[in-house]
Amino acid sequence: MNSKIQKELPELVKNKVITQEIASSIEVYYLTKKEDSPNRLFTVFAVLGSTLMGLGIILILAHNWDNFSRSVKTIFAFIPLIIGQFSVGYTILKKKSVTWREASGVFLFFAVGASMALVSQIYNIPGDFDAYTLTWILLCTPLIYLLKSQALAMLHTIFATSYACSVGYFSGNESPWLYLILFALIIPHYVQLLRYKSLHNVTSIFNWFLPLSFIIVLGAFVKNNVEFGVLMYVILFGLFYNIGKLPFFDSQKLRRNGYLVLGSLGTVYMLLLTSFEWIWKDVFTNDMVLNSQEFYMVIVLFLVTLGVIAFSYVKKWIEKFNMFQYVFVLFALFFFIGLVNSIVPILLINVLILTLGITVIKIGADKFHFGILNYGLLIIAALITCRFFDTDVSFVIRGLLFVGVGIGFFSTNYIMLKKQRKKAIK
Amino acid sequence: MKTINLLVIFIIVALVQIFVPAQMIFNQEKIIDTGVAYKFKTQPIDPSDPFRGKYIVLNYEVDTFKTSDSLWNYGEDVYVYLNQDSLGFAQVNQVSKFELKGHKDYVMAEVNWYNRNEAELHFNLPFDRYYMEETKAYDAELAVRNSQRDSVPNSAYALVYVKEGEAVLDDVIINQVSIKDFVEKKEGSN
Repeated sequence: MNSKIQKELPELVKNKVITQEIASSIEVYYLTKKEDSPNRLFTVFAVLGSTLMGLGIILILAHNWDNFSRSVKTIFAFIPLIIGQFSVGYTILKKKSVTWREASGVFLFFAVGASMALVSQIYNIPGDFDAYTLTWILLCTPLIYLLKSQALAMLHTIFATSYACSVGYFSGNESPWLYLILFALIIPHYVQLLRYKSLHNVTSIFNWFLPLSFIIVLGAFVKNNVEFGVLMYVILFGLFYNIGKLPFFDSQKLRRNGYLVLGSLGTVYMLLLTSFEWIWKDVFTNDMVLNSQEFYMVIVLFLVTLGVIAFSYVKKWIEKFNMFQYVFVLFALFFFIGLVNSIVPILLINVLILTLGITVIKIGADKFHFGILNYGLLIIAALITCRFFDTDVSFVIRGLLFVGVGIGFFSTNYIMLKKQRKKAIK
Repeated sequence: MKTINLLVIFIIVALVQIFVPAQMIFNQEKIIDTGVAYKFKTQPIDPSDPFRGKYIVLNYEVDTFKTSDSLWNYGEDVYVYLNQDSLGFAQVNQVSKFELKGHKDYVMAEVNWYNRNEAELHFNLPFDRYYMEETKAYDAELAVRNSQRDSVPNSAYALVYVKEGEAVLDDVIINQVSIKDFVEKKEGSN
């Protein structure tokens, strides 16, 4: 792409579209940019290389070399650790490049894990997987800040998520409260990224990673009161949507804004799920225990989300009414109506999904954005598909509905395309 | 931040990183040196761990104790006080929710379930993993099964050092030899 622009430059100068000065400054700009890019690629490969090496060492040590005596094995346990520490120390002392920082940090991360694993092998320490991962993550957290390493921050997030899954879903059935601390430990790093590198690719990776991690883990806090779990997720998606709507994120490209995308998709998914009758009749049957961990988390999440909206209002960031931002409030209302009557909330949720679909179509049409427009149509199509399964409508009417939506897809896209052309001609 | 400050903080972090595994080692060595050796009759089976490799899981014969106290919750800690018989095999002397004064060695175990009909508490001893070279773990399981068939019933036991509630699983012995050598010998004779 750059070379294409550079090739065009002489022609543009010749036809006096731009001056020679501008042409040369464009050249200089792309030259400096190019110098930067192979370096970045090298960093990525260096990180991949040290990840593979680190994992390889762990596997080699996991062979459990019986022929070596206990003391020899103990020395082996420390060799990778010492090598990793020396390379990180050298990197800090000599102020080495980003590549060095990332690669040595990642290597040390895995070396710490390897040495602890080997010691527990040598002495048959029974310690469970959770305690082992937790110690490992905590021993390496300071490195994120000392090396300002993005790769280590990602590893931290991934391992913290797997720790929480292990505690909450797999090995035990406890709430992974310590995950929240691990999550908090990464926040200062993330805030710095948002402040100083808001448009870098790394930052957009974290814009996806952090909400995803939270979405995965939240369910681990749900124990006996599943119905509150559903409410928790609806509010969480509302929170993410509202964060994504903050001008800081909203002004960025959609693919950088994980909060908005995940919040929107999640909200629609949860609404579609709760639009089925069986979920209200079969799942939401237990008596609600208000004095439960789940209910308190619902309250905390609700207040935080309201806080984000209130903050946006005070800052005058919210100009137009956007239904998506308030879905969580409406859903909470429906949810408590559902305690008395299960038919009313189902009806209301169906109407809500329809309204959301139409809202999205309107936003898409206003912005001339085909992606958003079709997303709105998809929401409505999904709603109709879902109603196929639990309503006794005759096949003819169902068929007609589908044909109707199909025609809707065609016509809306066609009308918009035409409008866009007209605009372009004008 | 200045390089020197960064370096100082890093050295502290590095020392902690070394200290944690080192402390694990010292702790275990101390128990092996000064603890009391108990033999626990056992039966091994082999699974594996993604980071730490193959190990055999040891099912202990000592895993119940008759007690009239029936209020036990799954997963809660229990003090298991031990005795030795004339051959050095471990027997349960007493179980308790709290540390008992005047009693001798104990290990911390986890409550499994309480059998009301038999008035028996079932518990899991913590030292149930014995790491082995990956090629040997499965053979070890087979060896133990075979040894039970052709010799005295269950001659396999775990040698465990116990000191102040902590325990280190030092070795698994079959027919008077370490399981590592036992598997090698078997492989040699086949």
